Amino acid sequence: MSDPTETQSAQNAGAAAGDFEPRITAFVCNWCTYTGADLAGTSRINMASNVRIIRLPCTGRIDPLFIIKSFERGADGVIVSGCHPADCHYTSGNYHARRRFAVFHDLMEFIGVDPRRMTFSWVSASEGAKWRDVVDEAVTNVRELGPFDAYRALAPEDESAAAAASAAAGAAARCAAPASSGAAEPDAS
Amino acid sequence: MSRIGVFVCHCGENIARTVDTEAVAEAIKDHPGVAFATDYKYMCSDPGQTMVKEAIAEHGLTGVVIAACSPHMHEKTFRRACAQAGLNQYMCEMANIREHCSWIHEDRADATAKAIDIARTIVEKVKHNKPLESIRIPVTKRALVIGGGIAGIQAALDIADGGHQVVLIEKEASIGGHMSQLSETFPTLDCSQCILTPRMVEAYQHPNITLHTWSEVEKVDGYIGNFEVTIRKKARSVNEDLCNGCGDCQAACPAKRIPSEFEAGLGKRTAIYVPFPQAVPNIPALDRQNCTLFKGRRKGLAKDACGKCKEACLKGAIDYDTEDTFIKEDVGAIVVATGFQLYNIGREQPEGLKGYGEYGYGEVPDVIDGLQFERLASASGPTAGAILRPSDGKEPKTVVFVHCVGSRDPEKGMKYCSKICCMYNAKHAMLYKHKVHDGRAVAFYMDIRAAGKGYDEFSRRAIEEDQAEYIRGRVSKIYRDGDKVKVWGYDTLSQEQVVIDADMVVLATAIRPQPGVEQLAQTLSISYDENGFINEAHPKLRPVETNTAGVFVAGACQAPRDIPDSVAMASAAGAKVMSLFSADELGREPAVAVVNENTCIGCMNCANVCAYGAIEQREICTVDGQVCGHVAYVNPGVCQGCGTCQALCLSKSVELQTFTDEQVYSEINALCFWE
Amino acid sequence: MNELRELARKLLADGEVRVIIGWESARRGARPMFVTEPDGADGLIFDTRCVHNLVTYLNPRRDHVAELGKIGLVIKGCDAKAVAGLLREAQLTRDDVVLIGVCCGGVLEENELPEAVALTPENVAPRCHGCDNREPTLVDHLLGEPQPEPPRPAVTIEERVAALDAQPLEERWAFWTEQFGKCVRCYACRQVCPLCVCERCVAEKTQPQWIESSPHARGNLSWNITRALHLAGRCVDCGECERFCPVGIPLTLVNRKLQEIVAERFDYKVSEDPENQAPIGGYRLDDEQEFIK
Repeated sequence: MSDPTETQSAQNAGAAAGDFEPRITAFVCNWCTYTGADLAGTSRINMASNVRIIRLPCTGRIDPLFIIKSFERGADGVIVSGCHPADCHYTSGNYHARRRFAVFHDLMEFIGVDPRRMTFSWVSASEGAKWRDVVDEAVTNVRELGPFDAYRALAPEDESAAAAASAAAGAAARCAAPASSGAAEPDAS
Repeated sequence: MSRIGVFVCHCGENIARTVDTEAVAEAIKDHPGVAFATDYKYMCSDPGQTMVKEAIAEHGLTGVVIAACSPHMHEKTFRRACAQAGLNQYMCEMANIREHCSWIHEDRADATAKAIDIARTIVEKVKHNKPLESIRIPVTKRALVIGGGIAGIQAALDIADGGHQVVLIEKEASIGGHMSQLSETFPTLDCSQCILTPRMVEAYQHPNITLHTWSEVEKVDGYIGNFEVTIRKKARSVNEDLCNGCGDCQAACPAKRIPSEFEAGLGKRTAIYVPFPQAVPNIPALDRQNCTLFKGRRKGLAKDACGKCKEACLKGAIDYDTEDTFIKEDVGAIVVATGFQLYNIGREQPEGLKGYGEYGYGEVPDVIDGLQFERLASASGPTAGAILRPSDGKEPKTVVFVHCVGSRDPEKGMKYCSKICCMYNAKHAMLYKHKVHDGRAVAFYMDIRAAGKGYDEFSRRAIEEDQAEYIRGRVSKIYRDGDKVKVWGYDTLSQEQVVIDADMVVLATAIRPQPGVEQLAQTLSISYDENGFINEAHPKLRPVETNTAGVFVAGACQAPRDIPDSVAMASAAGAKVMSLFSADELGREPAVAVVNENTCIGCMNCANVCAYGAIEQREICTVDGQVCGHVAYVNPGVCQGCGTCQALCLSKSVELQTFTDEQVYSEINALCFWE
Repeated sequence: MNELRELARKLLADGEVRVIIGWESARRGARPMFVTEPDGADGLIFDTRCVHNLVTYLNPRRDHVAELGKIGLVIKGCDAKAVAGLLREAQLTRDDVVLIGVCCGGVLEENELPEAVALTPENVAPRCHGCDNREPTLVDHLLGEPQPEPPRPAVTIEERVAALDAQPLEERWAFWTEQFGKCVRCYACRQVCPLCVCERCVAEKTQPQWIESSPHARGNLSWNITRALHLAGRCVDCGECERFCPVGIPLTLVNRKLQEIVAERFDYKVSEDPENQAPIGGYRLDDEQEFIK
């Protein structure tokens, strides 16, 4: 099991091998960012393929627990995105989200999580290009930071052993990078 | 146990060119809970939908995932198909592998792997979908219209003509609003009263309209389809059933010098009065503030100091001892049409606003505002339609019209443009010139905003046909100089200072909402902006709805607006109300929040964040009726389904249906990057 | 103290309350005391050993306390803020409790002494430094003389938080994962916190299970982050959570950081005013959003 005190720079050294593709989970609101992402699609705007979108009705619905669970499940980064202030389909959901995530962002930084792993944005239904920018920037940032092994390293021993076993068995079909053995599996010793 | 069918669409080439749809179907086939998976060229086509329906029957599917375009595109289509096959429509979801995958990536391997992830995520979500039913709430098919100006009258007539009951309430003694004060209207210069009064009478006589004048909204409870409104009918002192509008009481009233609100302060009225001769209803009201008898009663006089109107009334309709009464009305929809007032730019200002003392309004009697000019120009006005200035009753030979007083001014006044002043200034210049042929009309303007149909042509007429002089520049100071009113201004086009010795000045002051609109908005739980204008639900797509379901808005109370647009908006609001009334029950999407009363502790933090006021406190009792606690309750008729309450709830005791914690958790889990 | 005993005796004798909850002296320091008879009031004390936040007994979920009848509660300034929190969240009706405020000048860090001692920079509880509420106002009675400010400890909590803030991210991560790694999920912190009053804590929710329940590092981090987030704008800094933690996690550092966050971002300080709405649950149009793209 990796040493939880492994520094970011050591992780970066591993990532600098160039074959690490970050896994990013995005929580977006249905009315603005999801529709903006649809527009990016309709406009055939090309972007990095590392992001998986989970649709919510409003950023007001997005819970910090979602983000913590994503990191626990192996995400290297997350995106939270919704309507610009004053444009929320439900009037004020994004204002509540803004406060909630301001506190969460500051707290996570205090705990020692690099804030660049979490991207927060306002992307409206007409901002397909901006969604591409948010996605590409998030992917670039998290790629630089490397895999979030520090979080994975917190897992209980039996679980990480099982993960190492299945990773070694080549269950890396889900990974986008070509199959070179130490490529996208979490660092497990 | 879930039996989910997954249908992967090629969308012709749109998906299949980049995503290996066959491989996606193959990969998802063995996912736990998936009973059937296939791919097809066009899932939304007739054969495609038939394929779904047949699969539901053949494989006993409990859920359906269509991996194709965005749910915004075809969720309704596939939900309908599932419903036709006997599967609850809310057990069907779409996995977006087109807009969010095939259209934005190029690498086939990348895109296919991502499509598999996306499909897997939605399959996991659907495992936790519930077979929800639309929420049905009853609808009371009566409407309340607040405000009896042209917008309120139009909305009431449209709804009444549509076969539904309307309660129309107006705080003044007569309906008609500001339009009844106007002389002629742009861009046609037809007589305002002539086109308005037939509508007023129609509203009064309409079998489906109940009119309460001299009344205001006291309280509103309930929610869309089920409002309970309490109306305060102020004490009129005149029995509406007995009065025949003869006017003897007004002739007898000794208090004849009360400034008339209808004449915008330029004329007088009696204490018992109808606002104007064509008032509807033609029933006077007694202004107890200024009535001699009531002043005496307030001083504690033993004997009433007057009683002339009661003596004069042959029908015995006058009763000094009436009190305000309260009427409860059940309605299903409310239309707010409270109209506007003009910015008072004199020295006395309501809190938060500054006056335009430099323009002498309120001090120089010959500096007047637009409504006062309308009264001068009106045939039934204080000067019988002659343009005579207030100070000495002489005909002014030079009249200056100043645009944008209090509008477009971030420094003091309103930031916004009041929209109608360019048009009515042109109209006023023309009316003046039509009556005073040798008069000189000068207008100081910033821009000419004449965007409506026939509007630009109309404003050009003032200049080309009636020789109004238009000077582009602002006025810095207006003051009395002997017999004249001096106007200092600047002509930006010739870059010269201009001083006009006017006989009268008309200021085009800003349009503001009526006083008291904030309290009304709070009573209705609707929101308003920093200027007091009612907020529409969406600036482009929902202009006549508010954020409170069932409350609509029309006319100048939402933003400065002229008559044609107010009428159009009122009819639009009427149409929305009619649509609401088109069925006996309102069917709503079941995407509403539901409280778990076992774990909720009633802290009501959720109620604080609900933008719609959908959450209330509810007592819970033991079996023998003892109150043992309180919890939150979400009204399924009002909740709009944002889920902010759930994210806020510390114990997660409220669940937003269709986006429950279980569903979101399963989606996050499906993206598990470890096995 | 006589003032307190007299008042307690009177309140019980008049039947205004059925139980007085305060502190008594014991061999191992002060401890909570439940007085139901007027004569029992003689045992009530208030001194520097009285660290306990007795507001935890007002938790509506504590049926066995509620069964005792109307409570007269002895509270310090920090405790009074907790009462305001319960009022704000509809967990208490003001008329249902009699609040007996005591003027406080700070409490001991190590309070398990047979007798009270005066406060010094060495023995004072660090969280008392900078207290703005030594005379509670949300009370029905206020007893004692106004006390001087508590002595400044050698290192204040603010300084320790600032020291952590100054460290690089990785060191902070190492520090906190080690600290939270010690957690055995006894939930004593939750049990004693006067504002942790949920019927079913989110940590106990199993459908779905957001927070893993077994005491390993990953689930512990989730639990402690959630606990911290729930404190934003609510924690009254009574320090009981840290005092109760059997494995010595420095929870007051997290609590203080949360206070600094809401003070800096929302200009908010927890106070005794029940009308002072909590920052989470409200918003301003001009809230900071520098972290949002």
